[in-house]
Amino acid sequence: MTVGGIDVGSVNTSVVVFNDGCILSQLVLGSDSTDSDPHRAIELALGAAGCDWSQLGPVVATGRGRSSVDFAQRQSSEVVCQARGALWVCPAARTVINLGGESSRVISLNGEGRVTSFVTNDKCAAGSGLFLESMAYLMEVPVAVMGTMALEAAVVEEVSSRCAVFAESEVISHIHRGVGKERILAGLHRAVADRILDLVSRVTVEPEVVVTGGVAKNVAVVKELETRLGYPVWLPPEPQVVGALGAALLARDDSGK
Amino acid sequence: MVTSTSAKKHLATTLEVPALRKKYYAESLQQAGGRKVAWCSNGIPSEILEAMDINAVYLENYATVCAAKRLSSGFCRAGERAGFSQDVCGYARILMGHLLGGEEAPQAPYGGVAKPDFLIVNSYSCDSRMGWFGTMSRTLDLPLYVLDAPYQPQGGCMDDVNVAYTESQLEDFAAFLEEQTGMKLDRDKLREKLDLSRRSHDIQVEIFEMRKAVPSPMGAGDAYTIVWPGMYMAGTKECDEFYQRLRAEVSERIEKKVGVVPEEKFRLLWSGLPFWYNMALLNYFEEFGGVVAIENAYFRYQRSLPSQHDDPIKDMAISSTMRRPYAGDIEQRAELTRDIVRDYHVDGVVLAFNPSCRLMYVLQPELKNVLDRDGIPNVSIECDMADERTYSEGQIKTRLDAFIERMLSRRK
Amino acid sequence: MIDNLRRLRRERHQEARAWKERTGGKVVGVFCCDVPEELIYAAGMLPVRLLGAHEEATEGNLHFPTNVCPYPTSCLDQALKGRYDYLDGVIVPNVCDMVRAMYGAWKLNVGIPYLYFLEVPQRIGPRGVEFFAEMLGRFRSSLEELSGNTMSDASLRQAIDVYNRNRELLRQAYDLRKTGLISGVELQEMVLSSMLMPKEAHNQLMSECLEEASQRNPAGDGVRLLVSASMLDDTDFFQLIEECGGQVVADDMPTGSRYFFHSVDSEAEPLHALAQRHLAEIPCPRKMLPGARLQYVDETMADADVQGAIIHNLKACDCHLYEYPYLREMLEAKGLPVLFFRGEETEAELETQRDDIEAFIEMIRG
Repeated sequence: MTVGGIDVGSVNTSVVVFNDGCILSQLVLGSDSTDSDPHRAIELALGAAGCDWSQLGPVVATGRGRSSVDFAQRQSSEVVCQARGALWVCPAARTVINLGGESSRVISLNGEGRVTSFVTNDKCAAGSGLFLESMAYLMEVPVAVMGTMALEAAVVEEVSSRCAVFAESEVISHIHRGVGKERILAGLHRAVADRILDLVSRVTVEPEVVVTGGVAKNVAVVKELETRLGYPVWLPPEPQVVGALGAALLARDDSGK
Repeated sequence: MVTSTSAKKHLATTLEVPALRKKYYAESLQQAGGRKVAWCSNGIPSEILEAMDINAVYLENYATVCAAKRLSSGFCRAGERAGFSQDVCGYARILMGHLLGGEEAPQAPYGGVAKPDFLIVNSYSCDSRMGWFGTMSRTLDLPLYVLDAPYQPQGGCMDDVNVAYTESQLEDFAAFLEEQTGMKLDRDKLREKLDLSRRSHDIQVEIFEMRKAVPSPMGAGDAYTIVWPGMYMAGTKECDEFYQRLRAEVSERIEKKVGVVPEEKFRLLWSGLPFWYNMALLNYFEEFGGVVAIENAYFRYQRSLPSQHDDPIKDMAISSTMRRPYAGDIEQRAELTRDIVRDYHVDGVVLAFNPSCRLMYVLQPELKNVLDRDGIPNVSIECDMADERTYSEGQIKTRLDAFIERMLSRRK
Repeated sequence: MIDNLRRLRRERHQEARAWKERTGGKVVGVFCCDVPEELIYAAGMLPVRLLGAHEEATEGNLHFPTNVCPYPTSCLDQALKGRYDYLDGVIVPNVCDMVRAMYGAWKLNVGIPYLYFLEVPQRIGPRGVEFFAEMLGRFRSSLEELSGNTMSDASLRQAIDVYNRNRELLRQAYDLRKTGLISGVELQEMVLSSMLMPKEAHNQLMSECLEEASQRNPAGDGVRLLVSASMLDDTDFFQLIEECGGQVVADDMPTGSRYFFHSVDSEAEPLHALAQRHLAEIPCPRKMLPGARLQYVDETMADADVQGAIIHNLKACDCHLYEYPYLREMLEAKGLPVLFFRGEETEAELETQRDDIEAFIEMIRG
């Protein structure tokens, strides 16, 4: 049976259409586009999968806006969906670090794939995707390359504040002093990794560590995490659909197939 | 991001303190095997510890040393990773980071501190430290003595019941120390030390009063350093002699009209704790002819009472209930602040909001309200006294610059 | 069943005013469980617990910084907004830096005719209890003066009996909550309303509620939770838990079990007995007896078949935050998953808490 999973986040909406142990299609749509409307998003995903509504079985919704998905059979928390999706891409996953647009969470799993604990951060902006985007904008650097640029720095310009507002003002002052962009970016990424690690340290971390969410695409953040953890992390091929994938898997469970 | 660090010292005597402090910590480490080591909170009377030859480590001071050596970020982070909220006292997080941080924690200054045999905390200032010491006692599995005294928001008082309770706590404290050390408290020795510390305390009060002079003979940059011997070595000859030398130097400066700056344009009161990782901020105003003439954190306005009783413990009970720098509610803090502003010819007040020092922090907004009502110019800057990650140079300098401009235009 | 109690809590200000009019008596506000309300009651006055509100402390924030425990600021805010102008007095116990600061703040900014600072020792032990008993003696004289009534030992003993009866009834309700005969929200309404109204009347209402509850069938298929909190002023948080599919079956909090778990020894000398219970037995983390507190939390969970724990500490609450790692460790050692919240007493936080509670419950259900 073809099932669907949809993750309605504050920054992106992702959809996965799933059948017979395979992902038929996966989409990530920006919230500022009309395509991110849940109905529309599913339609697009179905189209990409070569099917239509009539072939679609249960859909499970997750993400901040999950209760707005009226055609979903049920809602599920981001924690459970992220964990489920991560396990599918990496069956040996024991820790999931989900770095979303506005919120992040770290999830611990036991050997049987059950979530045993989690912590979330939805108050502090400093480790989030939106923050990195706003910093990229400030520094006039494309988001897609900011991580790569950071890695090119030979020297790190310290951005030591623990607050996004302060970090921003420090970055501005570095720019005014004529410090090279790579150096500032290196410092910024280190500060972001610090904030993420503050969250991570609140659970017991065990490999395999899977990093999901948009920020997982930032090579500098990932490198910093790996350096601090002391071992490599696992990156899904498409980190932004892991939640939707988890939701789709739950839908599959619900459908009995 | 902090760009400057230690304060410029204007007095020669001040320069003696770093060596004194280093020696203190070095001796403490060296003698750890021979003498019992007590980890103490500020305000634990050093006279009684010295009378019993106890090796005292005052943790809050060690935290300021870590901060001054620019290690607070690493230690705080390690403390937080060990489970202690960012909300709790910066000093506590630094020490917990040092204790529990393992590899994550930075290298400890002075080679670290001597390992404790027992812990002592008092209730004389803040409540926060009680939880902190409780945690250490549990983590280290060591005995903790809580030296208690009534809070008395109306300030120290000689009420019989309060004094009797304080005395009982001190007696129990002495008994605890006797048990821990296997030594009997020599009350004659204690009396001698109390006499000495009374005298050096009074010399400090004199020096504080001398700072009313214009131009200011000693600013906060020196003041925050010279309180050290009185806080941690009270009752020793060294401490006594230090303050005598300091008094002589301050006297001479007043006589010769030697100020902190060549031309004094404005005088400030620093309310709250300084930022230990950036004490140079206290000198910032000097570029513009300003001086932080006085500070209120460790203010000692009252002279000692003469000896109240033959028994030094009974004597301490009475002087203890009086000798607490943070006693009093907002009304009293406000009154004290007004007195300081008047007596020290203060033109403006810098209100340092240190979020993790709950005791000081909670009173600052109301103090600001009082200053505003009284028409006393003031500026508020917020960042932690110990955790340098909270410091934003741009923001703070901007505010201070605007305030300095205001001060300079007033003087015209 | 609890509609009446809920109304009494929600309309607490009107109710207190009405009581004053009816009886001509005085109403005295109290911060914290450490203040023995029996003394206020025995003087013929009505003690009411000061409670914060889930609203922006626009007035309170003019006097206190924002990065502190919001509970006392919120109480001050209520007072500055005139909601507490029927109060004839306020008792400030020496329990923590924020509450202590309330003494000066109320004196300067709220025109309260009677403000009493109650010394509560920091060192808990026989000497501390003795000293506290002496302080209670002074407190008693001061209350006599305020009320214009003398307080005999007999009237004090009588007050203790009434209060002990209330504690007993609340303990019974606590047990009924374990089997779902009473819900978490219902018990919360019982405790909060007890703190706000005349005890004898509350005893009467409690008896009726317990009677009604015992006729019900055991219910509740929610995930069984322990809630350990530094301060919850209303039922919103428990309501949220129930909406998310949780069921509170045990608690460790001042507006919960800590208020009634222990009774006052009615055989002993009254002031000493009050001192003993309030100082040495209520296991608040401020008491510096971490072993006792953990043991207490364990006791609150007896026979409750707890599946998970939610710890809710108001931000910057030092005494709870220091003990938190040990509490967490103890609960996890028992195999209980733990969810931690840093509360800010804002309206908005309930919605973000919902996400986490839903995830927590889903996680436990597996």
